Amino acid sequence: MIRAEGLTKYYHVTERKSGRFATLRTFVAGRMQKVPAVQEMSFEIPKGGFVGYIGPNGAGKSTTIKMLTGILHPDEGRVEVGGMSPQNQRKEVARKIGVVFGQRTQLWWDLPTRDSFELLAAMYNVQAADYDKAMGVYAELLGLHEFLDTPVRKLSLGQRMRADLCAALLHDPDVLFLDEPTIGLDVTAKNRIRGFLRDLNEREQKTILLTTHDMDDIEQLCKQLIIINHGKKVYDGTLEELRATYPLPSVLEVEFHGDVQELLLPAGTQYDPERRVARLSFDKQVTSPMPLIDALGACGEVRDIQVLTPKIEDIIEGMYIASR
Amino acid sequence: MALYWKLVKASLKSQLQYKLAFAFEVVMFMIMQALDFLLVAAILLKFDTVGGWDLYEVGYLFSIASLVRSLYRVFANEIHSFEKYTKNGEFDQLLTRPVSPLVLLFSRGINWNQIGGFLQGVLMLMFALWGLHEQGASIWAALLYLPVSILSGALIVFSLGLATATIGFWTVKINELLAFTHYGPLNAASYPMHIYPGWLRGVLFTLIPVAFIAYVPSLYLFDKGGALWYLLVSPLIAFVVAGLALRFWKFGIKHYHSTGS
Repeated sequence: MIRAEGLTKYYHVTERKSGRFATLRTFVAGRMQKVPAVQEMSFEIPKGGFVGYIGPNGAGKSTTIKMLTGILHPDEGRVEVGGMSPQNQRKEVARKIGVVFGQRTQLWWDLPTRDSFELLAAMYNVQAADYDKAMGVYAELLGLHEFLDTPVRKLSLGQRMRADLCAALLHDPDVLFLDEPTIGLDVTAKNRIRGFLRDLNEREQKTILLTTHDMDDIEQLCKQLIIINHGKKVYDGTLEELRATYPLPSVLEVEFHGDVQELLLPAGTQYDPERRVARLSFDKQVTSPMPLIDALGACGEVRDIQVLTPKIEDIIEGMYIASR
Repeated sequence: MALYWKLVKASLKSQLQYKLAFAFEVVMFMIMQALDFLLVAAILLKFDTVGGWDLYEVGYLFSIASLVRSLYRVFANEIHSFEKYTKNGEFDQLLTRPVSPLVLLFSRGINWNQIGGFLQGVLMLMFALWGLHEQGASIWAALLYLPVSILSGALIVFSLGLATATIGFWTVKINELLAFTHYGPLNAASYPMHIYPGWLRGVLFTLIPVAFIAYVPSLYLFDKGGALWYLLVSPLIAFVVAGLALRFWKFGIKHYHSTGS
């Protein structure tokens, strides 16, 4: 559904002069420097794919999305969305895609929410029957009815995001590009949006690409992960594969109550006598935590046991550092 | 076109959300324009003429300039305030739509509160033409030519605005530039061109061709030594300028595609 081949995009930055009259000299004699924002990016997303496109700020996520949606033209390489080039057939591609920028709304700020939907439907030539059908389904699923007549400027961030999602879907696009759709939302609002997106992907086979900094979005939604750092792809695969390729140990944490026989603690245990907490790392793939719990339990009266699984953050953090 | 009307209605509805502010702004624009003209009228009443043109003749230039300026601001205000699109990256969103960005800009903001300036312009024009009629001058030619004058004038102002907006693809900020491409030139167009020094007249006839908005045709309309064919020059210039501005705009969008500014 989406294919990128060797996508490269440079930003032109004027080399800053320093010292006296720096601004003037930068203006007059500054040389333009080419700084790569995205380099040699290639990937393929099948129909019905759900891709998390992640990376630290400034890694080139937005630049990539802008190339996929036809806003920017790549300096090198090609993009195809639904078999068409977003650059050469921008308007045709626009009909096939829905775009949501989490930080910016596409709705008419001062108008009742419903009016924005009607205007967008007119813009995409959506037939009345199709419009009613889409509204019937999405307004219901997203719970928009309670605020359809409220001006957009009075909506909460969560409501606005739900409305924006609905707006992006009215023309029944095959592909959705979501740039940080859960940014700034509280847990309930995030969960609601995640539930909706998962449903959309599973039931309607919509291809979805989202960027996010929220690891829960990735764990709960994405079938495929593309990780980008400094404009380059550093990983492309499933979350499970990522976990398997870059194993991090789990940690067993036991809190004691009363005296602890420190000498009996298994080798490698870190013990904090003040909090009476023992921590022991182990590899889930190799060892079961049970014997370790038994061993620790023999050292004193146990108050609490926790097994901490490695966080996806930590894995990805490790990858960012490794790709530097 | 149906889409355009829908969007126009929506923008009216948007602005009527703030009824008091809306009414206030309409009146404010009228008063501001009227004050401008009263100032000129006061000077003219003292000195009789500006460069040989009397109160009513200058009033004609003044009212045409304010009519076309208001028309432009009513229908294409988003082009006038294009800086917000380049500065906040809002232009990106326009490019994700199956409609040309220019059409979207036109439909995004019918700026109804500038209609005050338009009404003021109409009143002023009636005053000027009535005065000329009282003096025994023939105003029929001017009346017949009025639609052409307003359309070609608005087209020239729009083209200047579009070219300025396009520069924003490179410079991002354009609001300061508007003093040189919109506010200044339109004030200049409110007076007869021959009162300006040669170099400035040169600019106003070529680079920023606001001389063709009202001055050139009125040379014939009010028998100031102009020939009949002057009436054809203004619309002709307007179309040429608009064509150039549109080309420049397309070139600017291409640049935007390749840099994202």
